[in-house]
Amino acid sequence: MQHTLLAVSAPPFWHCGRTIWKSNMTFLLALLPAVVMAGINWGIPALRVMALSVSTAVAAEALGTRLTGRPLRVDNFDAALIGLLFSFMLPSAAPWWLVMFGSAICILIGKIAFGGLGASPLCPPVVGWAALFISWPLLMDPNTAELSTSFIDPLVRLKYFGMTAVQDMNWTDLLLGRQIGGLGASQTAALLMGGLFLCARGVIRWEIPCNFLIGVAATAAAFHLARPELYASPLFHLLTGTTLFGAFFLATCMSCSPNREIPMILYGLAGGVLVVLIRNLGMYADGVPFAILLINLLMPQLEMIRPKPFGGR
Amino acid sequence: MTVRFQIMRDPRFHLLHQVTQRFSDGPESEEYRLARAGFVLEDTLRKKSEVYPGMLLAAHPEPDMGNLYCPVRGVVSEINERYIVIAAKPPQMDDPVMPTVDLSALEGQELLNGLKNMGVDTRFLSQNKELLIVNALNPEPGITWAEPMLATHVRNLRSGLALLQRICRAKRVVIALPEGMNVAYEGMEVVHIVPEYPNSLDPLVVRAVTKKENPPDVGIVGIHTLWGLGRVVVTGMPLTETVVTLGSRNHTGNYLIKNGTRVCDLIAHANIRANKGDTVVVGGPLRGQSISLLARGLDRNTTGLFIVEADTIPPLDGDVQCCNCGACSLVCPARLSPEMLSRYAEFARYDKCVKEHIDACMECGLCGYVCLARRPVLQYIRLAKHKLALDKRAIR
Ligand code: SF4
Ligand code: SF4
Repeated sequence: MQHTLLAVSAPPFWHCGRTIWKSNMTFLLALLPAVVMAGINWGIPALRVMALSVSTAVAAEALGTRLTGRPLRVDNFDAALIGLLFSFMLPSAAPWWLVMFGSAICILIGKIAFGGLGASPLCPPVVGWAALFISWPLLMDPNTAELSTSFIDPLVRLKYFGMTAVQDMNWTDLLLGRQIGGLGASQTAALLMGGLFLCARGVIRWEIPCNFLIGVAATAAAFHLARPELYASPLFHLLTGTTLFGAFFLATCMSCSPNREIPMILYGLAGGVLVVLIRNLGMYADGVPFAILLINLLMPQLEMIRPKPFGGR
Repeated sequence: MTVRFQIMRDPRFHLLHQVTQRFSDGPESEEYRLARAGFVLEDTLRKKSEVYPGMLLAAHPEPDMGNLYCPVRGVVSEINERYIVIAAKPPQMDDPVMPTVDLSALEGQELLNGLKNMGVDTRFLSQNKELLIVNALNPEPGITWAEPMLATHVRNLRSGLALLQRICRAKRVVIALPEGMNVAYEGMEVVHIVPEYPNSLDPLVVRAVTKKENPPDVGIVGIHTLWGLGRVVVTGMPLTETVVTLGSRNHTGNYLIKNGTRVCDLIAHANIRANKGDTVVVGGPLRGQSISLLARGLDRNTTGLFIVEADTIPPLDGDVQCCNCGACSLVCPARLSPEMLSRYAEFARYDKCVKEHIDACMECGLCGYVCLARRPVLQYIRLAKHKLALDKRAIR
């Protein structure tokens, strides 16, 4: 027994068991209901976009790690996750080249260019989305891309036709994703379920989505109370567009969100407030992706709010 | 500290185990291995020298570190660069008996010297403090000797405390007990601590008692140290034993072992096997060191020995990037950013580690325990601390 070959390692020798692989798998699991709902609401085209985006992302990751000479780790499903998150913001009618191009940008510019996992200063799926949205606004706008649907886009209605057009919104339709929007991002109820699941599992930090939604609700309420004939109610803003998706799945992006209490609260609130400001006062119908890019940029400043070390004066 | 129920719900972190079983005796082995690094061997010690329990084998050149004494009757079978190896043999009628030493008449520096000559390290003993805290919690998850020690080694602990008080001269002595444990240490002020790791770490116990972080004039001593001091007083002989918890997936037990006991002898004694690919840890499972050879001898500061079976935890990945999940800074009891510390250490920016307050780190190991990427976070921090200490010494 004296000569048994032992494995030598570094402390600690116990571990909580959570790994990147597991956390990404949980993430994918949480997205599953929304994937199913997207399939139901948008049919095969939606599934096609998601599959294409995921596979492009994985291929782009393989290419990118080779180019930068880093070890390939697609087995942790991070690229697949980014690809899926990105596809959620696309219209189901997006052409194949748009999907592939955007997905590759997410990985190559959003992730690899900054040094890979954990190093991106901006949420990678949003980077891809923003690049496409600026370049091909018409193709990226679900409202102009989805011509063969009976659904409506509540946010566009509100923006161009005013409060009266969205007066009689059917809340069940909103919850079940029967609205025009990103193919997965508009599956409100499914995303809410998945998001809460992630919070409960500790895969995302609940402070961020919670405060993000509080920010949205509070700002929307302020507008609504001041001019109810002009501005929509908080619930409307919470259930339309990319709000829930952004709060639970984009704003919580590990590498670009702060991780201490107070910064997390401020970060979430700022995101929520920006969403409604952009929607109500800005030129875009759905402000969520831009709000998220802005709070991502704010993150390093927020991170500077930190407690003194133990025993520090 | 913020409680992160999703991260810290490991039941093993509860530090109260309801263990009442007395310490078992360690193995009577054929061979003992005493680590000799840092000691100066006695001139007369050769291969084949006859040695007796309590005999001085090597002195420590530092005045505040204890000397090395022989734990058993035997013959020196080998002296190599790492160990003095002793082959045990049965005591004989005409063996010389080492005289017992009475420390009760000594004071001050004489007492410290006396302790050194009893194999006790005095460097970390609190001296001349206002308040002395006895930390009676199990120091780390997995370790279970605190409760039986408190319950059945009262005389030892009391003698140790009385001795320490002669050095420390504290006006007030407080014993920090785990909440839910009631032992009567009459005449002592008691503070109860929630028995969840990391609350058992010295700085956190001090804070729980004084409500201040790192206050001056407060000394703290763990009961393992106190037990050693008491043992010296009670037996009048040099300290050649230690109490360890031996733990594996299916076994846990506390043993009173002789210094130099080999790991393989102890685990065989407890009927445990270490298989190929397992990790054997000396110390606690969160902060200990893993060893490569089962023939290694355990020294007097050992508090635990753990077999971590292969495949029970995800493998460590030294090169993997931090994914910035933030779990480590959320659990860090010192409110540091271990992700930054480990990154700076990884790229040898030790100066930056200082700016990130690396000296406040209590080496609790939680950052590595929660790390999603399985980075050796604590190891990086220890590396940085080590390098910084070397630099400091070079400047002096
Ligand atoms: S070991 Fe890690 S978690 Fe513990 S105090 Fe040090 S930096 Fe913080
Ligand atoms: S726990 Fe590990 S991966 Fe997460 S931030 Fe800390 S060092 Fe990085």
